[in-house]
Amino acid sequence: MKLRNVALAFFLMTGIFCAGAQGPDMAGLLHPKADSWPTYHGDYSGRRHSPLTQITPANVGKMGLAWAFQTGLNTQIKSSPLLADGVLYFTVPDNIWAVDARSGHMIWRYTYPPNPGLHIGQRGVGIYKGTLYFVTPDCHVVALDAKNGTVKWNVLVADVSKGYWMSMAPLVVGGHVIVGASGDFDNLTGMMKSLDPVTGAVQWEWNSTPPPGTPGQATGGATWMTGTYDPQLNLIYWGTGNPTPVLNGKVRPGDNLYTCSIVALNPDTGKLVWAFQPSPHDTHDWDAAEVPVLVDADFHGTPRKMLMQSSRNGYFFVLDRTNGKSLLTVPFGPVNWTKGIDAKGQPIPNPEKEPAPDGRLIAPDEGGMTNYRSPSFDPKTGLFVVDAHPSFSLYFAKPADGAYGWAGADYGLWGMGVIEAIDYQTGKIRWSHEVGQGGSGAGVLTTDSGVLFTGDGAGNVIALETATGKTLWHAGTGAGMQTSPMTYELDGRQYVLEGSGSVMFAWALPESMAAGN
Amino acid sequence: MSYERVLMLLAVVAGLVSVEGAGSPVKAGEMVQATAAAPDPGAQVYAARCSMCHQPTRAGLPPTFPSLIGIGSKYTEAQIAEIIHNGKGKMPKPLPELSNADVAALKHFLIAAPAASAAMPPAAATAVSVAVAGGQAHGVQAGDALFRQSCAFCHGRDAMGGESGPDLTRSKLVLSDVAGNKIADVVKNGRQNSEKKMPPFPFSDQEILDVSAYIHSQVEKANASAKKPGGRKGVDVSDLQTGNVEAGKAYFNGAGTCSTCHSPTGDLAGVATRREGLQLEMQMLYPRGAKSKGTVTTRAGEKVTGVVAYKDEFVVGLKTADGTYRSWNLDKVTYVEDAPVKKHAELFPNYTDKDIHDLMAYIQTLK
Repeated sequence: MKLRNVALAFFLMTGIFCAGAQGPDMAGLLHPKADSWPTYHGDYSGRRHSPLTQITPANVGKMGLAWAFQTGLNTQIKSSPLLADGVLYFTVPDNIWAVDARSGHMIWRYTYPPNPGLHIGQRGVGIYKGTLYFVTPDCHVVALDAKNGTVKWNVLVADVSKGYWMSMAPLVVGGHVIVGASGDFDNLTGMMKSLDPVTGAVQWEWNSTPPPGTPGQATGGATWMTGTYDPQLNLIYWGTGNPTPVLNGKVRPGDNLYTCSIVALNPDTGKLVWAFQPSPHDTHDWDAAEVPVLVDADFHGTPRKMLMQSSRNGYFFVLDRTNGKSLLTVPFGPVNWTKGIDAKGQPIPNPEKEPAPDGRLIAPDEGGMTNYRSPSFDPKTGLFVVDAHPSFSLYFAKPADGAYGWAGADYGLWGMGVIEAIDYQTGKIRWSHEVGQGGSGAGVLTTDSGVLFTGDGAGNVIALETATGKTLWHAGTGAGMQTSPMTYELDGRQYVLEGSGSVMFAWALPESMAAGN
Repeated sequence: MSYERVLMLLAVVAGLVSVEGAGSPVKAGEMVQATAAAPDPGAQVYAARCSMCHQPTRAGLPPTFPSLIGIGSKYTEAQIAEIIHNGKGKMPKPLPELSNADVAALKHFLIAAPAASAAMPPAAATAVSVAVAGGQAHGVQAGDALFRQSCAFCHGRDAMGGESGPDLTRSKLVLSDVAGNKIADVVKNGRQNSEKKMPPFPFSDQEILDVSAYIHSQVEKANASAKKPGGRKGVDVSDLQTGNVEAGKAYFNGAGTCSTCHSPTGDLAGVATRREGLQLEMQMLYPRGAKSKGTVTTRAGEKVTGVVAYKDEFVVGLKTADGTYRSWNLDKVTYVEDAPVKKHAELFPNYTDKDIHDLMAYIQTLK
């Protein structure tokens, strides 16, 4: 090696180390740069909207594969990658990969040991000051050095033997790593915990329901999705899951607070500030866990701090997020389970549509009108775009099904995937784009240039014009997209990432077209 | 700057980096909780690099993957290090990112760990039984553990139905399965049509045997519970007998519009002898697997009709009468689809629950 080369290598090394591995601090999380995607949703608002504009409606047709990363596992990727300092981090249960965002080559891989928790999905990691936070199926939270995947600490936050498991991407808010647990097959209390980012010590715990065995009270209210955060109001917003027993509501009369709710908590104390309940007394497994999307805009001429949710139960909600008061409640597809909307803007469940021994026809189905994959809010058009799933199903429950865990049975009859663009001021559907029978399962990403990215039910990744829903580009990936896409720009080239099957795909314009070349 | 000084600086940089990498920002006093749960580093390396072949229990899958239990009495420490570094037979060399420290920790774990301990953090104590079950003890118990990890979310903890997955104790496929001969195909390949979206699972043959044994044991349990009337969970044929035959017949021929496409003496003759209960009711509401017919006219004027074998927004694939598959880009041809099944989807909003129960009563008379 010549001296010059050695010196060059040295400068390259120092350059890499100087730039690398500190990860975002609170300022980085509050104001993500174009070359970072530091939280599950990309930023705290949950809009899954990017200011990037290199890929446009006019040139997206030229987009092609930049790289693909093969996990080599037969497990669907359901996580949304994080990007910090040029390194992507994404997951499947028990696995984290750190991958070069420019080339798709693996930097390191962390594998958590075999464990008994439910391995249904893993949504990704959280990052703060060079440390990654990862939850495991057996309810550990593991903190790792983002540089090399070395474990810094590992703490137990829930008891897998009782029926809890974990799948969500932690939300980091300053000095708090906020995690939640899943669990539907046992009568468990839904809970969230905040951990110290340095030590893993528990700072607070919030329970969505009373302890199991409290007479007449529901359990449940799992907190299995990543919430959002308003730094001005200093509130985190979280959707909670269904009550338990799931399909048998007779043993848990009343609204079953705070299940199927959107809750606003103080991130420093875990104290509840307000709650709104999309599905009072749910008997159809319709978690209100879908992303609480935070939008600051006019509502009927008045500037508002809003929260929007396209809920699994089929309703689109717009709330004033300072106090949880309803601004709009309107279905975004066929629903047949309510008697109307109450004064608070909450649907009133029809007792006739509770699961019964001879079956009840219910719309939507148990997977819901939408599920955990992210919707996206496009500020320019004012459109809330969601992967919707109009559907019908049969729900059953009888005494032999009991009052523990699932406590009934339901069977989907038919469903269709439709990407819908909802006008948030009225709830009217401005356009809808069918993506195939059975549904798609892909999340939605909008960008400032007016292009959105999502997937169809046949395994195509598709780009649509945000204003009209018109198809601009597609590519077959060989498997359904189960992720919500994200995007970033590095060295003047914009990449769009989505996981289909067990492969992470990075799409981009040809290098010759990317700006600066 | 001299060559040596550059090298020295490089070494310092590298040293700093490794110190930074190894050093923990957490003070010892704050690590109490973490230490209790901190896994043996060798066990971690084992779980990540070795367990997929040699199994979490280190019992291996002989003869291809030998057992590593008691390896310390078979090989010297130096020989073990040699195998880890250079591989052996079909065993690959360790991946480049495996550091010397990793290899040392792994060696220590392989030699020191007692036979019963598996590669996992001590905090996950309950995991041991799973790993042991997965590697050594086979059968219902091992299948139960596997089922909980991979199947329970959709099919329920007890295999009698959960989120979106059917009750397996009533599945025709399960009931006709012998020791996994039918279940294996579904587990390995999943179900990837438009109505059933079960992902494939990378189970070993042994794991499929175990999980099948568990499912069959749950069928036995369900059958035992059925001895008491009304005692079985899930949907029984007797649960679906609340409708009125005459009202159903009237609905079939009138408001339901069923008779515009179907006839009780034609396509539906004997339908209740082929299916019963929930399967019959679901098929009545939406016939899964119904074939649609497509006709493509090319710009050159060629007209091709066949059964729709594939269709997305961009491409249609038809199977013609002689079994040939042909496909076209939809923007290059004229395409007309004859899909009578779509009528069923359009009818959903019209039904009351009583309509469905009455129709079911009537359809069940078509024997």
